[in-house]
Amino acid sequence: MSEKICRIELEGPVARLRIPGGPQLSRRDLLGALRKQLDQLAAKEGVRGVLVCGQGVQFCQVVADGQLTSPDAARLSAFGQEALFALEGLGKPVVAALSGEVSGLGLELALACSFVVADHSARFGFPEISLGRLPAFGGTQRLTRLVGRSVAKQLLFTGELMSAEEALRVRLVNRLYGAAELEQAAMALLQRVCTRSPLALRVGGEVVDAGYDIDLKAACLLERDAFALCFASRDQKEGMGAFLEKREPQFTGD
Amino acid sequence: MPYKKLRIEVRNRVGYLILDSGARFNKLSVTTIRELKRAFSQLDEDGRVGCILLSGWPGESFAVGADIGQMRPFTPQDALQFAELGQSLFDQMERVAKPIIGALNGITMGGGCDLALACDIRIASDRLLIAHPGARLGIITGFCGTQKLPRLVGKNRAREIFATCDSYSAAEALQMGLVDRVVPADRYWDEAVAVAERIAGMPPCSLAWAKRLINMAEDCSLRSGCLAEQGAASLCFVR
Repeated sequence: MSEKICRIELEGPVARLRIPGGPQLSRRDLLGALRKQLDQLAAKEGVRGVLVCGQGVQFCQVVADGQLTSPDAARLSAFGQEALFALEGLGKPVVAALSGEVSGLGLELALACSFVVADHSARFGFPEISLGRLPAFGGTQRLTRLVGRSVAKQLLFTGELMSAEEALRVRLVNRLYGAAELEQAAMALLQRVCTRSPLALRVGGEVVDAGYDIDLKAACLLERDAFALCFASRDQKEGMGAFLEKREPQFTGD
Repeated sequence: MPYKKLRIEVRNRVGYLILDSGARFNKLSVTTIRELKRAFSQLDEDGRVGCILLSGWPGESFAVGADIGQMRPFTPQDALQFAELGQSLFDQMERVAKPIIGALNGITMGGGCDLALACDIRIASDRLLIAHPGARLGIITGFCGTQKLPRLVGKNRAREIFATCDSYSAAEALQMGLVDRVVPADRYWDEAVAVAERIAGMPPCSLAWAKRLINMAEDCSLRSGCLAEQGAASLCFVR
């Protein structure tokens, strides 16, 4: 079941995680499937990076939940937040390559990735407000931290979709590509990232995330200690050795 | 004691701190970092100086990280000490009461990128190439970059810069907000000097408090920051 909802396709060190969504799919099913596939991806040592993309239909398209009771809504929110924390904390770079409408759950999922690239057809938003609801899977928090309060409020209050160009300007999207080249360009970018030290990518990602929400001084101490730890690794010897010998490094993440 | 890796000059209230290692790249070695610390405290105490301009002009590089050959055999303890030294420089730069302008004249990599992030304003030449290539060397930076870069350009762009290890051009750096202004190389120095002289002409007390208040804005509650602002505003009227 999980395989149908979120398909993993291996391409060298990169795993493509396809999340087509579907007209019959509930948010609970999609998030549950995502959670299971993330456990798979975390366990696969050969996988060094993940490309998240849709297919055909709208990214993360789900059926409306209908009338939930308050406790059910809270449970669903907690379940989804855990799934997206697992995505954010995967320990491997995750790039989302998106086109078309990216809204609601789709945008919340995209915000939990390392960063987002898109084509010019992409549009981003949280339309929940018009139904009297709110994003509930970390979206209000990740969006605000990424684009600032003002843009976040604009998106959340109006429920309107933002163009790809606007999303690039407000830092929601890192890079824009033509529609025909999006997945290939994103894959090439991620393949290049996967030649870097898996250890440095993991530790660096964790230090960025952990340090962002605490004061700068404590955050820099955290970084200092993580930096020192890198010098106990094989990756550091290999990386600096390769640099000095002017060859390509062969990292193992050890 | 004379400096070996840099030069200092004071003109029209601007303190010029020019990295000049004599080599193609200004590496942030232990010696350079110690000299930078000494130079910043000298310029901080110099009453003729209203603003500091840090650059590698007219060389090819602004600054790069430490010598890889020297770093390779580091133990974790060596690395800890080295990061401590670097972070103490950046901490000092934050506490210097005068604005520090980073004039990024060219290649700015690794620790050099962190040095740029510790400046208050960054003006780049269109020859800028800026990168954070730690993940290609099997390390992360230990000079506050993992913390200051996300705060400056947003988490996602910072993650991209760290993960790709790519070199970014002046135009890309401007678009990301990594630098505040880009000037063509032929007019570069004149404009950097003009910005520095304009700032250096402002009242020192206001500059110092503006710098402190903006730095603390990120790390304290809005209420506490506003309270500090009240105090600073009243100090401006002390004669």
